[in-house]
Amino acid sequence: MEKTARIGRRDFLKSTATSLGGFAYLSASLTRPPDAPEKFEGTRVLGRTGVRLPIVSMGVMNTDNPQLVRAALDAGYVFLDTAQGYQRGTNEAMLGEILKDRPRNSFVIATKASLPKDQATGGYGPDATEEAYTKKIDTSLRGLRLDYVDIYHHHGTWTREATLHEPILSALQKAKKAGKIRAIGVSTHRNEPAVIAAAVESKVYDVVLTAYNFRQQHAADVQKAIAGAAGAGLGVVGMKSMGGNVRGAYASGQIDARACIKWVLQDPNVHTVICGFTTFDQMTLDMSILKDLTLSAAEREQLRRASMEAGLYCQGCGTCAGQCAQALPIPDLMRAHMYLYGYRNLVAAQDLVLSLALPRDVCGDCGACAAACTNGWNLRDRVRDIVRLRDVPTSFVA
Amino acid sequence: MKTREWLGIALLGLLIFASLSSAAGAQPFAFPSMDGWTLAGPPQVFVPDTLYDYINGGSDLYLKYDFEELTVVEYRKGAMSVNAEVYRHRTPDHAFGIYSQERVPSAEFLPIGAQGYYEKTVCNFIQSGYYVKLSGENTGADDRAVLLSFVRRISETLPGPTALPAALSAFPTEGKKANAEKFIARDFLGYGFLHSGFTADFERSGRRYQLFLIVGNDQADARAMLQQYLRQIKHDASAVEGPYQVTDPYHGAMALFWKGRHIWGTIGLADADLRATYLKYFEGLPMR
Repeated sequence: MEKTARIGRRDFLKSTATSLGGFAYLSASLTRPPDAPEKFEGTRVLGRTGVRLPIVSMGVMNTDNPQLVRAALDAGYVFLDTAQGYQRGTNEAMLGEILKDRPRNSFVIATKASLPKDQATGGYGPDATEEAYTKKIDTSLRGLRLDYVDIYHHHGTWTREATLHEPILSALQKAKKAGKIRAIGVSTHRNEPAVIAAAVESKVYDVVLTAYNFRQQHAADVQKAIAGAAGAGLGVVGMKSMGGNVRGAYASGQIDARACIKWVLQDPNVHTVICGFTTFDQMTLDMSILKDLTLSAAEREQLRRASMEAGLYCQGCGTCAGQCAQALPIPDLMRAHMYLYGYRNLVAAQDLVLSLALPRDVCGDCGACAAACTNGWNLRDRVRDIVRLRDVPTSFVA
Repeated sequence: MKTREWLGIALLGLLIFASLSSAAGAQPFAFPSMDGWTLAGPPQVFVPDTLYDYINGGSDLYLKYDFEELTVVEYRKGAMSVNAEVYRHRTPDHAFGIYSQERVPSAEFLPIGAQGYYEKTVCNFIQSGYYVKLSGENTGADDRAVLLSFVRRISETLPGPTALPAALSAFPTEGKKANAEKFIARDFLGYGFLHSGFTADFERSGRRYQLFLIVGNDQADARAMLQQYLRQIKHDASAVEGPYQVTDPYHGAMALFWKGRHIWGTIGLADADLRATYLKYFEGLPMR
């Protein structure tokens, strides 16, 4: 018997369905006070959209298994998150095939799209027009076989300027007015605080979908930005809760996904978290979070250990670049270090080290290393460590 | 020698062994020059921890297909531009897997690499452990010719082999939809213990269904997977080589056949007679 359960599945389905019934009205009128007191009961209200969602939702990006999506909807998942870019549109098409057989008020769906950006600046060029973005929205509706989507996210911005790109905002507002979308969102995987602040500033966005996890070095800044967004009435959806630890994919130290999800949901300003489960068992386990958000001692220990493991992975911030007295390409060397000790890919690590044309006497007589790492790494030790690969015969490695 | 140094050498040896044991070759990739085209900037490189900077949430799926490295450049010629992305995955099967997740069966397929296809402004192909994606901008009426010239040059630069996974050839041809086969790298059928599998889509007499093939590491691995699956679906039988008719709580009625390290099966095929026909087909396959 689960004594911590606050509501049963039937109850929360009922309460969710009730809220869904009022979604159109509430999202149109935006009358719900954003700071209404909340009592945890397995669901939270997605800001001014007024829609009440289970705190765990399904990110469909990782699966092409329609039975898993059907099973998730049958098990009580309500909110599905996809994107036009996932599997080049086939993810939306798969959902369209599934959802055509379901009552429209039995699920909430978000999808997203972007237009080509300058990868260096994150900014849009002259081709990022209102017309081009409107085509994206229409393509999603066709793929999903829906008359409207509940949330359409401006996908993957990392600058204030891109978040506020007027042609895209205009396309989204017109689509909302035309009934093609119910709420306007923005999704971000980096520089999240600036994007979230811009979303609030815009007074256009209703929802933010943000990376948020225990591994982020700037998690406190993200938390603060989220609080600002929630305070302004925006719905907040968390993603990337595992911080790059794809379930069973490549991390050497596995971590229970539920611990990561719970960590995010300790923040009451996060209204639901996208879970990218790919098995029926994971689906059931993630759903169990509805009953108990408490982080156990074992889960806290897992998170602590995983935080330490994060130290293997260069965040690629570039802070160290140019700080070395020998002008060593430290970011590249840290990448090689990551290949070797993080991914255990000796070939790639050696290839990279050999390609850097390093001086023979790396670090030389430098008494103190002038380069600083935001991870707090001892760069001198790591550099000396990885350059030893030069001495391993390539014929032995390849 | 200090203990730490011994440990370092031991680790290095372990890593060398692991690398030599890997089926994939981490071949360095250098983009070829194209007459009349210039590079807009130096190549950008993304690794598993930074891939999301480039393709956002889509990166999760690539990571499941053992993505190792992405190199991106943009070629320019006047107003035209071609964005070239070369993804390196751990094995050719994994490269095929992510490619198969994104290919559109209605595209124009091309004999480039192991397989490629062209759609307006897009040309993608796989070769060895590489998945190459090209997109053109302002390429106008020459779009197809421009993109094909790039994929040919890039294909010449990449290492072989240039064949699709051999497992695909074992699927029966009758009713099989062209270019719809997939390789699922993890959590096959939604079960974590089924580590990977190939699928093919079929349509016969208006019935749409799939056949699948799980290739275990060896017979014992296949037996372990089947035994766990039977336990999962509460099918009261021990795993012995041969046919099975089972009911999966999520996938419904299924036919299975285990032989050697191979497990064949049907998905979404309600017709019991046709399932029985496939069981005979699986039994007649020469694979061990």
